[in-house]
Amino acid sequence: MKILTTVKRVVDVELTIRVDNGAIVEEGLQYVINAWDESAVETCVQLKENKGAETTLVSIGGDDNTDVIRRSYAIGIENGIHVNDPALTDADAFVYAKILQKVYEKGDYDLVIAGKQAQDTDNGQTGIILAEYLGLPCVSNVIGIDVIDDQHIKVSRLGDAGTEIVELELPAVVTVDVSINEPRLPATRGLMMAKKKPITVMDLAALGTSVEEVKGAGLKSEIIEYIPQQERKAGQKFEGDAPQITAQVVDLLVNEAKVI
Amino acid sequence: MAKALVIADIKNGALKGSTAELLSKAKAIGAETAVVAIGSNIESLIPGLVSAGSDTQYVADDPGLELFSAGPYASCVVDAAKQSGANMIWFGFSESGKAVAPRVAAQLDAACATDITDVMLEGDQIEIIRPAITNKVMQRLKINTDQMVAVVRAGAFEATEEITGTENVVKLSPPESDLKAVIKEIVSDAGSEIDLADANIVISVGRGAKDQTGIDLVKELADDLNAGFGSSRAMVDAGFLPHSKQVGQTGKIVAPALYIAVGISGAIQHLAGMKGSKVILAVNKDPEAPIFNVADYGIVGDLFEVVPILREELKKVGN
Repeated sequence: MKILTTVKRVVDVELTIRVDNGAIVEEGLQYVINAWDESAVETCVQLKENKGAETTLVSIGGDDNTDVIRRSYAIGIENGIHVNDPALTDADAFVYAKILQKVYEKGDYDLVIAGKQAQDTDNGQTGIILAEYLGLPCVSNVIGIDVIDDQHIKVSRLGDAGTEIVELELPAVVTVDVSINEPRLPATRGLMMAKKKPITVMDLAALGTSVEEVKGAGLKSEIIEYIPQQERKAGQKFEGDAPQITAQVVDLLVNEAKVI
Repeated sequence: MAKALVIADIKNGALKGSTAELLSKAKAIGAETAVVAIGSNIESLIPGLVSAGSDTQYVADDPGLELFSAGPYASCVVDAAKQSGANMIWFGFSESGKAVAPRVAAQLDAACATDITDVMLEGDQIEIIRPAITNKVMQRLKINTDQMVAVVRAGAFEATEEITGTENVVKLSPPESDLKAVIKEIVSDAGSEIDLADANIVISVGRGAKDQTGIDLVKELADDLNAGFGSSRAMVDAGFLPHSKQVGQTGKIVAPALYIAVGISGAIQHLAGMKGSKVILAVNKDPEAPIFNVADYGIVGDLFEVVPILREELKKVGN
């Protein structure tokens, strides 16, 4: 089984994100592998270890993306494709999906495993749109994958009414939730080895496409501005005699907040 | 004129509140309204769809649509979108909505925005507001396409009480089933419990509850209040509760009228999932716990002492 997984390099959300004049302040930001993609990479590596799958990752972005590719190598991904083209700085989910379609069509893949969303945009669209472009079956928000045979997998998905069990015919696209596994950390030795491993770097021309093709009629939506999140303020905090302060708070919930 | 097509949010055969909320918002910004309902044996929901504020009801009622399957559901929405000529196609905040919306957008070649909290309409120009970067900032986007597909964040819009609609039912032909992604079964892990996304009150338990005894104590409070019962990541990671109960950035995002955090310190991860609640009450024995920085009301105390008193006091006021 040949698997393609997608890895996005995103802003580290553990750090403070500041907005100034409608834009994100770049100073002080750090970049990491997207949390959901880390789970996708772990899923691929487990399928390699347990089912003999062949694993390839693709990452779209600038020169710095090599760090998330090497990190994934260190965990056990075998092949890496880096799509690096200066025309892609403002790419949205549709543009990413179109590029991924081109990458998919150049290989002979049985399964695409993507993270269900990226922690920078929080869109949760790219993997699903890719499946539409490819005309492949797709299940999103996947929390478990079982290989049935060469042509079929069974996946579990967190749905509205519980866990949905879906049988998929390959080739297919799945997008995974972080709860699918506990991603391993790269070992130092693995990181050293990963530095020597080659990465296939491609621009749009090398992929057999162009900025006109991947952007179609233009971006479907554009960010006009970022707005700082309105932070909640600390309210009334009560300490002391538990029966007394609890009664007081219940009275406030009923008469002040009017939510009970 | 702008026209909104709202996807009826149906769970266990009943219409959820988000449908009226989305239709109310559409009317408030001056749009015409239509709704599309997808399922099996859903004819009885039509009066509810009308009173929720829709002026046309597209209904796909077929035994093949009993279990959720993203492909056929998307086909129904696309069919209704084309017939209605809607330029705004809105889903309520649900896992099925998040799975179907990007498919519909790709098929219609329309813009797609998830998690939106507001929509502005000026002539034909649509702008939306949504959170991004793990809920740390908001972004304002301009839609460049004629049509847009959106998933509306829970609690973003309010239903107006005086809203009404007109009955005008259009039956949709059943879609082809997805033979390459076959839904086998749905294993309910929540039983008949109240859905976190719908609940008016959500009570979540954290590490402070220590073990099953503590969890059961907090669960009793949730049961008293008919509240949704959630959890911090710590209690899920420790194996006490399933992932479906986790409130937070990588779990469920909730915005109830009242959120009660019991024994939860308030990690960024958790706050990202509940900061949108209207009123927050926190119970924690550590007066310095970060949860108090976002709580409207805070009780500093041991939950094992406070929760039983809280139950008694709430019973006195008629719950």
